Amino acid sequence: MSIKECFDALLGNGSAAQVRIIRNIRIPRVLAALIAGAGLSVSGLIMQTNLNNPMASPATLGVSNAAVFGANLSIIAFAGGFLSTGNNLSSYTTGANPYSTSLMAFIFSTISIVVILGLCRLRSFRPGVVVLAGVAIGSVWTAATTILQFYATDVGLSAAVIWTFGDLGRATYKTDIIMAIVVVVGITVFIITSWRLNALLSGDAAAKSIGVNVNTLRFISMLIASMITAVCVSFLGMIGFVGIICPHVIKKILGQDHRVSIPGAALSGSILLLLADTLSRSMGNGSALPVGAITSMLGAPFFLIIILFRKEGRS
Amino acid sequence: MLEIKDLTFRYSKRAPLVLDKISLTLNNGEIGVVLGKNGSGKTTLFKNILGIEKPDSGSITYDGKDLLKLSRGARAAYIAYVPQDIQFGDLTVFDTVLMGRMPYFGLKAGKEDETITLNILEDMGLSELVSRNANELSGGERQKIAIARALVQEPKLLVFDEPTGNLDIANEQLILKEAKRVAKEKGIGILTSLHDLNQALDLGTKFFFIKNGKIEYQGGPETVTETVIKEIFNADVEIIEHDNRRIIITR
Repeated sequence: MSIKECFDALLGNGSAAQVRIIRNIRIPRVLAALIAGAGLSVSGLIMQTNLNNPMASPATLGVSNAAVFGANLSIIAFAGGFLSTGNNLSSYTTGANPYSTSLMAFIFSTISIVVILGLCRLRSFRPGVVVLAGVAIGSVWTAATTILQFYATDVGLSAAVIWTFGDLGRATYKTDIIMAIVVVVGITVFIITSWRLNALLSGDAAAKSIGVNVNTLRFISMLIASMITAVCVSFLGMIGFVGIICPHVIKKILGQDHRVSIPGAALSGSILLLLADTLSRSMGNGSALPVGAITSMLGAPFFLIIILFRKEGRS
Repeated sequence: MLEIKDLTFRYSKRAPLVLDKISLTLNNGEIGVVLGKNGSGKTTLFKNILGIEKPDSGSITYDGKDLLKLSRGARAAYIAYVPQDIQFGDLTVFDTVLMGRMPYFGLKAGKEDETITLNILEDMGLSELVSRNANELSGGERQKIAIARALVQEPKLLVFDEPTGNLDIANEQLILKEAKRVAKEKGIGILTSLHDLNQALDLGTKFFFIKNGKIEYQGGPETVTETVIKEIFNADVEIIEHDNRRIIITR
């Protein structure tokens, strides 16, 4: 379709097929890229600030591993939800519940978040403890997934593996709305607490001395960042690297001030994921390549240029 | 006046006492220097006063107000902190200092907060640095910015943990001069710790000798004697008079 045909279809002036493609397939997909890209990128930024760790990502609390386990359990053990990629629209109308796999992924992500934050509360959310607890619990989910896949049928295994590839084609208006609510509420809370997040950059003791309740801030912001990730991963599968690349690039370009870096990270995440999805559809020879792989391929070289050639501050 | 009574603290139930019935007083405008060996409890005492750690028992009051009952934000309006290890994010000097107004502005800084910040920056001779990245400045400048951030909190007490720890001699002098000026001109009480006993004598008006979590001696400059230093630090020193100043030299 040409650009003009796309706009015509968007306005309802194209053929029925064109209108259906644009309104029911492309637009939900584009919206999903914008929403999930912003959500994952901002979640990564918040995790990096909270844990004072440049390698922290939205998945640090084992969210993605837990989501993969939940989805695998749904697909392999219960044969639920959609057993194909989002390229197959019929999957939304077959099966007992088209959202059962996403629901299972979300339930297990939430369990992971609650368990890790609950455990970390014992040690006052010390960044090192949170990261290690995330790695430990994440590896438990990965091990459980491996065992599950060992007993899976060929079809089940293939469907489960395909689910883990990030795919924006699974998005519908309904999933977009759910993701948008969580992402918009989350980003709004982060923007409101920008000054407090800035204070964390001075270290816990200094932040506490200027009145910041560090433990509460860390608990709430990590919970929100993880919930954003859980919702996005549950609906779209694993989309790696957006949550690491975009926050780093934005911090290098705009600095660490959260009043600027949060909107910046949201915008860059949206753009990267949209660009990656467009490329994934163009390069796949008829079927979309996993968008997570494209985000890494697109982002990594840019990321390397930024970290290798840009002048460093004292920090 | 800061008044601490019978302050007791341990890091966990089974751990040994780190602070053992600490009692001290510090008047407004006084500079109190806490002296003791590494691990004697100086930083833990500061953390308890600041509310970073919660004491097991005892009381901390300022002008009769129970600081332990105040919220973190309300306490920040009484006590400010200049940590030993100063960290800033990649923020401008102005924003870094403005952050100290958080106990007053909550979510977004107002005009008054900005004016107070600019005044303090000007007062401390930092006006030219306002739009510089705080992370890219020298050690002495960073220390001054941390002091400025503490001062915009408009505190009644400033806790200053080893202010000269990582500075060269020129910056040491600069920071000690600044601390004296703040105490004198603004009437803010300063509680600090120093390893250099001569700097302590130069700066302090009141001295607290701490050993194994207990304050063994406290008082004015006359408290600093060869015997006390021997007992607290297990070090042989001689105190000599020179140019109306007392100087401590090792034997």
